[in-house]
Amino acid sequence: MGKLNRTWLGLLPLLAFVSAFEILPVLMLVKSSLSGPDGLLLGNFARTLTPSIATAFANSLQLSLATALGGTLLGTIIAYAIATSSNATVRLSLTALANVTANFGGAPLAFAFVITLGSTGFITILLGYAGIDLYPGFRIYSIGGLGIAYLYFQLPLAILLVIPALKGLRREWREAAECLGASGLQYWTGIGLPILAPAMLASFFLLFANAFGAYATAWTLTGSDVNIIPVQIAALIRGEVKLDPALADALAVLSLLVMGSCLVAYQHFMRRMRHAA
Amino acid sequence: MTMKSLTWRAPVIGSFIAFMIVPVIATALFSVATRWDRTLWPEGLTLNWWIKVSSRSAFLDTLMNSLWLSALSVLVSLILVVPAAYLVHARMPRAKPWLEFLSLVPFSLSGVVLALALIRLYSKLPLPLVNTPNLLIAAYVIITLPFMYRAVMNALESVDTNRLSEAAQSLGANPAQVLLRVIVPNIAPGIVNGSLLVFSTAFAEFVLANLLTGTRFKTFPIYLVEFTRSDARQASALAFMSFAFAWLISLAILWSATRVRQNARADTPH
Repeated sequence: MGKLNRTWLGLLPLLAFVSAFEILPVLMLVKSSLSGPDGLLLGNFARTLTPSIATAFANSLQLSLATALGGTLLGTIIAYAIATSSNATVRLSLTALANVTANFGGAPLAFAFVITLGSTGFITILLGYAGIDLYPGFRIYSIGGLGIAYLYFQLPLAILLVIPALKGLRREWREAAECLGASGLQYWTGIGLPILAPAMLASFFLLFANAFGAYATAWTLTGSDVNIIPVQIAALIRGEVKLDPALADALAVLSLLVMGSCLVAYQHFMRRMRHAA
Repeated sequence: MTMKSLTWRAPVIGSFIAFMIVPVIATALFSVATRWDRTLWPEGLTLNWWIKVSSRSAFLDTLMNSLWLSALSVLVSLILVVPAAYLVHARMPRAKPWLEFLSLVPFSLSGVVLALALIRLYSKLPLPLVNTPNLLIAAYVIITLPFMYRAVMNALESVDTNRLSEAAQSLGANPAQVLLRVIVPNIAPGIVNGSLLVFSTAFAEFVLANLLTGTRFKTFPIYLVEFTRSDARQASALAFMSFAFAWLISLAILWSATRVRQNARADTPH
């Protein structure tokens, strides 16, 4: 009994810290998002349905969906190319590249993309020589440009998540399927993809949450030009728009719900992947 | 078969490498170019922008601010997480899922949401926290909790902590001695791995720093963003420094993660 009490005492600093800076702030946020002068329980959420915020939600969902889907599909193809390479140096160095670039993000990344794909960027000029004019049809400072910049950190993350699952894909199974007369397509739909599915779904949900919460890249690249949820919340915090605390809280809680459900799904598929392995 | 696989593998891997490397190389070249906005190749090379940007006093100030902030976040995180993870792992396995849950919650908190939540709570309380680096450190410890917890717990799970602590106790060590002298050295690779992850995240973080302390306490990423609005060339030098720094730390993280796995393999009998 005395021993158990001492153990609890040892946990106390972490629990107190987490309560003070993680649990309590979030609970307060939820509480204040639910209470307003009109007493209506969900009134603040109803007020988030302004055209501007609805657009922000649509943009955020679109951006997250596109980069999570694109990142996972392209990432799986690249991961397959890496994992099935017969050269160990290629495998190791490309995995290291994915590890390093998954940590690149925020302001430096946004700026690197301005230099590369901006109106006077290196690739823009290079394509100009080849007779392809990117501008004004394309703009790196737009939501499409933002999607390309997001892919830079989404792709490596997907690759790192899918590579371990690819190791479970035995070469003998493919040979066995071919011996039994299966086509490449039949192999993938019948054997390959079902085995990779948990890892790809885990990757999709993690990438979705990752893009939904990202702010630094968007802010550096476009300022407040591209209307997405994190930009709206940040503008409310800074008081750039009419001060409305309860509205900011409601938006933050909605964003928390979106990211929270994505991460629950991510955890679920990661567990399934570990059981399969 | 090899011919066939070469035909699709080379372009896939080639485009991946190009996509990942070209923006970094372009940033490096831009930072040493006299002018590079109308020609395919920089018109001339110069170290001017690097000298200019690094000779400002604000450069060293913000760099030191970020280094201190990151180091203190690592320290606080270690003091809080290592003993708790050990106790839960060795003494209270039933509390483990709860701690696991608490360490995962930060994943669903984006920077803007956590900033708003902290401002809401602490602007009402008479504590010296809002607009200070203290609150920023607390926020960094929270957002990096998943990394530190996982790294330390993985390391703990890979060594036989019960046998180690029993052996130490039978030699007369008290609980604090067991933790510091016996457990910590055995999970050192995990601690190093977690610390590097916390350090690199805190060093590169922009959103919380921008919203919690803003212009009052400038970090390196804030300094960089200010330059992207005013002087692109000097900003590119700063951006390349950030890349190089992230590179170095990531390679160190990779190296320390391999050490954790090697330890795990050496300890398992089969």
